[in-house]
Amino acid sequence: MAHWQRFPTAPAHLVFLWRMAAVLTTAVITAIALAISGRNPFELAELVGRSAIGSRFGLEDLALFMTPLILTGSAVTITRRIGLWNIGAEGQFYLGAAGAAAVGLYVPGPSLLVVPLMAIAAMLCGMAWILIPTLARAYAAVSEIITTLLLNFVAALLVYWLVTGPWRDRVTGALVSTQHIHAAIPEMWGVVHYGFPAALLVACGVSVLLGRTSWGYEVRISGANPGAAEYAGMPMRRRIISVMLLSGALAALAGMFEVAGTVHRLQGGMANNFGYLGIVVAVLARGSCLAVIPAALLMAFILDAGIVMQTQQLAATTVLAITGLVLMLIAAGDELAHYRPVRTTPPAGTIERNVSA
Amino acid sequence: MIALLTGLLSTAVLAGSVLALAAQGEVMAERTGVTSLGTEGIMSIGAVVAVLTVMEYPDPWLGFVAAMIAGGLAGAIFAFAVVILRANQVLCGLATTFLGIGLSAAMGHSVAGLPVPVTFTPVHIPLLSAIPLIGPAFFSQNILVCLICFVLPAGLHHLLFRTRHGLNLRAVGENPAAADAAGISVAGFRFWYTVLGTSLAGGAGACLSLAVIPGWTEGMVSGRGWIAVALVIFAGFRPVNAVLAGLVFGLISALGFLGQAESWPVAAPVLNMFPYLGTLGFIILPVVLWPGIRRIFAAPAALGEPYYREVR
Repeated sequence: MAHWQRFPTAPAHLVFLWRMAAVLTTAVITAIALAISGRNPFELAELVGRSAIGSRFGLEDLALFMTPLILTGSAVTITRRIGLWNIGAEGQFYLGAAGAAAVGLYVPGPSLLVVPLMAIAAMLCGMAWILIPTLARAYAAVSEIITTLLLNFVAALLVYWLVTGPWRDRVTGALVSTQHIHAAIPEMWGVVHYGFPAALLVACGVSVLLGRTSWGYEVRISGANPGAAEYAGMPMRRRIISVMLLSGALAALAGMFEVAGTVHRLQGGMANNFGYLGIVVAVLARGSCLAVIPAALLMAFILDAGIVMQTQQLAATTVLAITGLVLMLIAAGDELAHYRPVRTTPPAGTIERNVSA
Repeated sequence: MIALLTGLLSTAVLAGSVLALAAQGEVMAERTGVTSLGTEGIMSIGAVVAVLTVMEYPDPWLGFVAAMIAGGLAGAIFAFAVVILRANQVLCGLATTFLGIGLSAAMGHSVAGLPVPVTFTPVHIPLLSAIPLIGPAFFSQNILVCLICFVLPAGLHHLLFRTRHGLNLRAVGENPAAADAAGISVAGFRFWYTVLGTSLAGGAGACLSLAVIPGWTEGMVSGRGWIAVALVIFAGFRPVNAVLAGLVFGLISALGFLGQAESWPVAAPVLNMFPYLGTLGFIILPVVLWPGIRRIFAAPAALGEPYYREVR
């Protein structure tokens, strides 16, 4: 006799197996959907493989996509460790991009001086953007999910207003964009800029901060068992505030890297869902800041595949649907990983008694 | 002045009815303890399905019903994941939103930007539509507005607070273990009311694409689903308040339209921020100004928590 029982912990190998199943299922469903819409899924898969991994351009794109995803993924991960959700990374990304652009546009000087200033301005803007949801959460227990999310729309509109109004490109007349920003993060390998190794370093730094400092310890305890943290006299409110502000700063840094390293302008819609995808990255990483790096790689690969699909006349949002599917299945898989079969051997004589009864 | 106010109120009611319908659906799901964060994506699906349907069969009601069915089906997938499998509700809600936005864009590719052959046409209800201000706003619109603003909330309020079924429903959201012990099917209530909520969200999408902004364009829902989710908190998880909250936000967005039409010296993107900032203010300010409101307008105690019979 055996039955499935739910355990409070999910062992890593089961999580891995269920997730593999989730990714495979997504691939199969996507292939079927493509076949129904009259495309050959195998040809497409080969094309994706060839251009995303098999070519230098593909690899460069992969690194460029990974850079913001690592940062927004880390931003969401640290809030998960204290038991909160930062759904507003998209908005903080925009604000970081806007703050960086403000410095880039109006502060003259060599890149060496201006770029660090851009980073500081970006992080301050990101922290300012998450400040109201943070205080509402810490002092009035208002759910941070909705408040951070609503500000995403405001941030997108704010950047749209900036790039069509006061900061619009008066040099080349590019639409929904500022003029070219000269201060830039130098490139190291093709179009890949030093923001990529910087993002990797930041992820490692956050990991050390969470895993090896007393601040990180208190954050983890506050997330895992708020009652125990309070009883132990840990300053929960201050930890919530510092985690959320750090999260905002990290997401904003992603926006700054995008402006100074990749796009060299502030553009409307430039966040490209990187903030929302950061949530997916954080979920994939299961709360580990180092696991954010491979998770960002997987997400970057999906985005890369999306670009290849766009060249094959598939809607750009197909990739969003695929992301949604993979997220849903992984959420289900993570829950199913809690279940294990348990052998139930009835005590001797039970069966006979049951039969007679 | 009266003409201006009447026009403003009419726009407000039309825009607000979309939010009101989606928010009422969300109230029903959240009362059973399920945070249904997929509303934004499900409204997108509803909007595109409604447009696709009326392109084929030009009848707005058919489009509305098709959108409700599509919303219910999408919601059934979500509900299966969070109620039957008991996966994380926030994640599955976000996933539903991604899926809905992505799928609706792919489905609506062929009809994007095209005019729809039919829309919901205004019906003048005798006597009631003659009332100044309120008459034109509520009773000279399409009949759907009347249903959303008066009939549905009355029905849902009665169901929730005046019937045994409603008592059971609320028990499932407040204390699923007690409800389970009393022989109420927790999973059944949660599943079917989540599906009901998402089918209303699908209908809200149809309302948007067949009455408010006729036609389908990618990203036309633009956060209305999220605002509806937020309004539920502001409305204290009550259907009648959800309608009032929806109308207040209809008024805020109508002010934005008015500002653009009258060319106020404020940029259009800034005017468009009003509904989001307004929602934010309405969630945070009441709690800050009057902390006691939290007890009166409390969220269902088991909101967002999966129920395991074997875990105490």
